[in-house]
Amino acid sequence: MRIKFWGVRGSIPAPGPETNRYGGNTSCVSVHTAAGNLIIIDMGTGLMHLGNALLRTEFGKGAGRATILLSHTHWDHIQGLGFFPPVFIGGNQFTVWGPGSSPDVLEQILEGQMDPNFSPLQTLKNLSAKVDVRAALPAFEAEGVRITTREHAHGHTRALSFRVEEAGRSFVYASDVGYPESGPEPAAIAHYANADVLLHDSTYKPEDQATRRNRGFSSYEEACAAAIAAKAKRLVPFHYDQDYSDDAVDGIVAACTALLAPHGIAVTPAREGDELEI
Amino acid sequence: MKVRFWGVRGSIPVPGRATNRYGGNTSCVEVRPRAADPIIIDAGTGIRHLGKALMEGTFGDGRGKASILISHTHWDHVQGLPFFSPLYRAGNQVHIFARQRDMHLEAVFSQQHDAAYFPVPLSAMHADMHFHELVEGARFHIGKAHVTCARLNHPWVAIAYRVDVDGASVVYCSDTAPFTDMLLGRDFIERPSFGTLPPPVQSELAAMRAGVVALAKNADLLIYDTQFTPEEYQARPHWGHSRPDDAIEIAREAKVKQLCLFHHAPMRSDDDNDKILAAARELVSADKFTLVSAYEGLEIPLGDQ
Repeated sequence: MRIKFWGVRGSIPAPGPETNRYGGNTSCVSVHTAAGNLIIIDMGTGLMHLGNALLRTEFGKGAGRATILLSHTHWDHIQGLGFFPPVFIGGNQFTVWGPGSSPDVLEQILEGQMDPNFSPLQTLKNLSAKVDVRAALPAFEAEGVRITTREHAHGHTRALSFRVEEAGRSFVYASDVGYPESGPEPAAIAHYANADVLLHDSTYKPEDQATRRNRGFSSYEEACAAAIAAKAKRLVPFHYDQDYSDDAVDGIVAACTALLAPHGIAVTPAREGDELEI
Repeated sequence: MKVRFWGVRGSIPVPGRATNRYGGNTSCVEVRPRAADPIIIDAGTGIRHLGKALMEGTFGDGRGKASILISHTHWDHVQGLPFFSPLYRAGNQVHIFARQRDMHLEAVFSQQHDAAYFPVPLSAMHADMHFHELVEGARFHIGKAHVTCARLNHPWVAIAYRVDVDGASVVYCSDTAPFTDMLLGRDFIERPSFGTLPPPVQSELAAMRAGVVALAKNADLLIYDTQFTPEEYQARPHWGHSRPDDAIEIAREAKVKQLCLFHHAPMRSDDDNDKILAAARELVSADKFTLVSAYEGLEIPLGDQ
């Protein structure tokens, strides 16, 4: 599996010189399977840049196919869809697996962002590509790999984390996770267990999270606690607060490294444009 | 008054090194009359930073009052509103003005705060929010400032605003296509068309253009949508954006004193924007008005200070 980070920021895109190094686009990660298939996780503004890169592949000719895993439908996880060039080319096919038990409700939510008041597209029906919306199952096969999902609390709502497994290797995407004050639950740890790479919500420094716990995001300390309890091999901190500068994120990465080194867990920060081979 | 640019980009925010100088935030312009409350035009992601700056003053104590004029509710013009800090402080007053729609404006703005999309509902904002629906040709006062508006040629319809205050005038004209090839409104238009238009459509476009020229008449500053290069416009006349040449024509006819290129395309790098500005300046070298290109942090003083 080859993981690439296209958007690593939380809540709202954060342009400006102070976010140049880690990047200011919202959540989007691509996973190219060893077999050459494509899984996209979340559709934040990073998706536009992934889409531009995909135009040089079969997606540019209307012969592309990908699975999209959607953690939840907050704006910072869906805003890129209307700016994803491959959806404007007929012949491309996308299957979106997202939260909730009803694919119709999920499709209506995605439809809502294309409402004529908000988008010149007016409706999802004006996309040229085929976009098939489905309710994610606890476990399913897509693009030739096994995917398991876990529903978790995210403030007042729920979101999904995904575990992608191929040929004995595993990648877990756990963004927008709000744990109870006691820390990650056993069910969360079981979902992350022994992951080769655990990408985990690290929105806040602990002191900032203390006053914002109701928002349903993790601190980097909780991300590290989850990595240790799950015996993950590598932690990827992700979904940095929009107000954190590159220097502040450097501090988060250094703190994670210090916390995890005694446990033999490596740290690779999510940074726009970086790739990670599993 | 002072005019300050907090977001100058169209369509979608674009972080990254290539946009550091002009800025990657979407549309937001602050008009600050002398010793008076701010008038904000559009609530793209730039308004997040304006909000932080306002919280340093009376808005931080819940004693602030702001008016926000919305050109239209496409995402790049409203996305920042849920991140506008003064809304989270009780006592602040925020007045939102936008064109009347099929449903009430408050319902339109509530939709972007729907639980599916955003964690905090609009109804939970602590500030006192008021929604004002505008009809075409509306004229009204915000404090000592006089505001007028005109319809633009954009999908689902946008409006331009003129603010007259402190002996000066600023006109915000974004988003709009030129008034020559296609009439954009409620219908979804899938592809370009450049044929001869039926006479009623021609006259509607001519009236719209005359309205824009009248709105901009003798303005001290005209801020104009110039998202497209001529080549891009040829491919996408139905997207509802103009070229620098279109802005220059309107500026000439309206005899404005300064023209500002605005609503830069997302994939336009700073170097691209420099070239567009240099080329446009060549075109107006014999004209009486000055020409600038909007960048985040640009501040233009007008009239009485």
